[in-house]
Amino acid sequence: MDESKPSAQTAEVVPTKVAAPSPSDKLARLNAPTIIDINNVDFYYGASKALHGINFPIKNKLVTAFIGPSGCGKSTLLRCLNRMNDLVEGTRIGAGSIKISGVDIYDPSVDVIELRKRVGMVFQKSNPFPKSIYENVVYGLRLQGINSKSRLDETVERSLRGAALWEEVRDRLHTSALGLSGGQQQRLCIARAIAVEPEIILMDEPCSALDPIATVKVEELIHQLKQDYTIVIVTHNMQQAGRCSDITAFFYMGRLIEIDATEKIFTNPTQKQTEDYISGRFG
Amino acid sequence: MSPSPQIKRIDQRPLREAISTRGRSLVPWLTKDELIKYFFGANAWMSIVVLGLIMLSLYSESIGFNPSRGFFGENYRNLLVYRQAGLEFVDILKKETSGIDGLGKYLADVRLKELLRLIAQGKRDGKPADQALTDANNALTPFDDYVNRLSTLGDPLNVIISPLGDAATATRDAVTDVEHKKQEKELYLRSNKKELADQVTYQEVDLDAAVKPLHDALPSIQDANVKLAAGLALFLTQPPPALDETMKAELAGFNEQVRGLMAVLPTYENELETWNPHLPLPWYKGVTDFFFNTNWLTASSWQNYYGILPLLAGSTLISIVALVIAVPLGVGAGVYINQIATPWEQHIIKPAIEFISAIPSVVLGFFGVAVLGQFLLQLSQWGILPHFSSRLNIITAGILLAFMAVPTIFTLTEDAINNVPRSFKEASYALGANRLQTIWRIILPASLSGVISAVLLGFGRVIGETMVVLLCAGNSIQIPPMSDGLMVLFQPVHTMTGIIAQELGEAERGGIEWHALFMVGLFLFVISLGINFLAQRVVKRFKISIG
Repeated sequence: MDESKPSAQTAEVVPTKVAAPSPSDKLARLNAPTIIDINNVDFYYGASKALHGINFPIKNKLVTAFIGPSGCGKSTLLRCLNRMNDLVEGTRIGAGSIKISGVDIYDPSVDVIELRKRVGMVFQKSNPFPKSIYENVVYGLRLQGINSKSRLDETVERSLRGAALWEEVRDRLHTSALGLSGGQQQRLCIARAIAVEPEIILMDEPCSALDPIATVKVEELIHQLKQDYTIVIVTHNMQQAGRCSDITAFFYMGRLIEIDATEKIFTNPTQKQTEDYISGRFG
Repeated sequence: MSPSPQIKRIDQRPLREAISTRGRSLVPWLTKDELIKYFFGANAWMSIVVLGLIMLSLYSESIGFNPSRGFFGENYRNLLVYRQAGLEFVDILKKETSGIDGLGKYLADVRLKELLRLIAQGKRDGKPADQALTDANNALTPFDDYVNRLSTLGDPLNVIISPLGDAATATRDAVTDVEHKKQEKELYLRSNKKELADQVTYQEVDLDAAVKPLHDALPSIQDANVKLAAGLALFLTQPPPALDETMKAELAGFNEQVRGLMAVLPTYENELETWNPHLPLPWYKGVTDFFFNTNWLTASSWQNYYGILPLLAGSTLISIVALVIAVPLGVGAGVYINQIATPWEQHIIKPAIEFISAIPSVVLGFFGVAVLGQFLLQLSQWGILPHFSSRLNIITAGILLAFMAVPTIFTLTEDAINNVPRSFKEASYALGANRLQTIWRIILPASLSGVISAVLLGFGRVIGETMVVLLCAGNSIQIPPMSDGLMVLFQPVHTMTGIIAQELGEAERGGIEWHALFMVGLFLFVISLGINFLAQRVVKRFKISIG
């Protein structure tokens, strides 16, 4: 399966406005420390080069959005950040490095399992396990050998509240997760990701399969989550990038074209390609 | 407007004419489309028709549309004659003598163990092998005398039994003969050949006169029983001569057995006194006897039995052994190939496993007889496996059948795992699971129904397999002694499939044995049907749960 070629964009209605912080506040936050340092990364699927010399930092406790047309490499880059591309046969990093907190995550000494615990991921298509809601949330904990009921109960409530799902499912925690609606399933996947208390959450087009109302809920959730987590979100929907991100990176044909504060990208991009894409002239 | 010159249709006819003419095919009244549809439809429905015919013939040859002429009716008459001719009476007597034989066997077992110990002891003392054997036998001479004296206890009874047995079988044969003649006559009458029917004459057997000698023998039997009881009591007072403490401990149960036999003697005598050849046989006996009789005995000079239990036990035990081996192998290989193996390994292993199912089973059976059975026996002689004597047994057949079931289980398991969405696997890895955790907690549970149905179909394959069990199971019709624990697996058995293959060629068409074999076939058919039905149900559930 090639995640670098996501499905067609889904049309979405403009959701309710979220109160925007004042410009000065924003500028201050853009100076946050770097947590992920992407350094001249080339990436290959077999012989074809999917990423060309990607080079930029991702700031701590901010929401960074990756935008760009289909096949531009944004999902590929995202999946490099927790080494999910390892699961795809024939992929490799050709050059450059990705450092998280100063550690090169492609170094042979890196514990991939631990990396994925610290860098959680939410997928494009909600993918709850065919288990109960409760078991879905505690899956990551059970992997680590935590089976104490009180600890699990506490995590389930905290994570589901964190994912704004608690009130809806508290009475049916032990029914199958597959009985939830699409939007609930996606929030369950977010709850499952935050249950293991990661530092970074990667979201790969988390709303592309959701209806507008579910999308609003997930976006509101992203706003809450950025208090505690660094979030990297890939999206096809430019309004969404505008609404929920602090920084936006625009990719085209496997290259980073422009990265800047979201407001600047959407109001006054420096590159012609960015402007064309944002104004809907192609993509 | 004139049409543009570049449009050149293949069919030059005008529109009106072209669309108003239906296509024709070879058969005038069918269009091409219909012809193709019927052709494929006929192919598809053919299997249903054949299946129906098979079921019909199985049913008509076993139970029969007239059940009194089918197997159950014939088996009922078989059992009825057994009672009326007095075979039942003689069998009660035989139970007494077989009780004495049982005592002898008990002592013989102890003797064998002691003999082996003595020989081993002799070898340790530095004697040559044959010298050790002779010495051991010599040492056991007093014990042998004791056993011989014990076996003579049954002699008075045996003297009574053999003429009674002859009389009973003679009566039985006469009754069967009359039965056959009646049938023949009826057949002639039905086809309006009166003169031929008149030629068939028979005289009804006077059953009361026939069983009179049995009743008359009662006083002498009672006499013999008294003697037997007295003899047994005498043996109670003289325990068998033990050579050492171990042997004495092994003989400890002997007195218990003797007392047990003495205790049942009056019961047998009572059964003999109250025995009545006119006692009616319940109508369902022909059916229950098939399912619960522990004997399958054909072409016997005494009494034939058609009980499916020993065959069922053999088939079941072999299947269990096969599944216990094949399930971990098949499921494990499926998981490995689908989840872990490199593409290179997949290219090698997958076709290899699938090739196994192409090996003719007779070749595997030959391998089992020539190599595997011998190898297991060798292992036993080297002391790696416990002692057993039959080269062909449940284990040998089970291992080979496991080998045959692996491709089925492997392929279906791999399919089931393939159906698990990749997103489950990704989600699991993204939460920090390692490969084993992902397989164990996500992939196997999600494909569980598929795996279960794979196992069920593997079971179906195993229980229906014929050639391997015929060659390798040892073909000894018995319910293996379950009290032996796991050692039961080294017993030779016979199977439902094996008995059909072996006996159908010799069975008289339309005779009771013929019907009995079809009955076994029907039973197998029902088992397979049940397994397939179950497997399909399980797979259906699986599809819903993935969504």
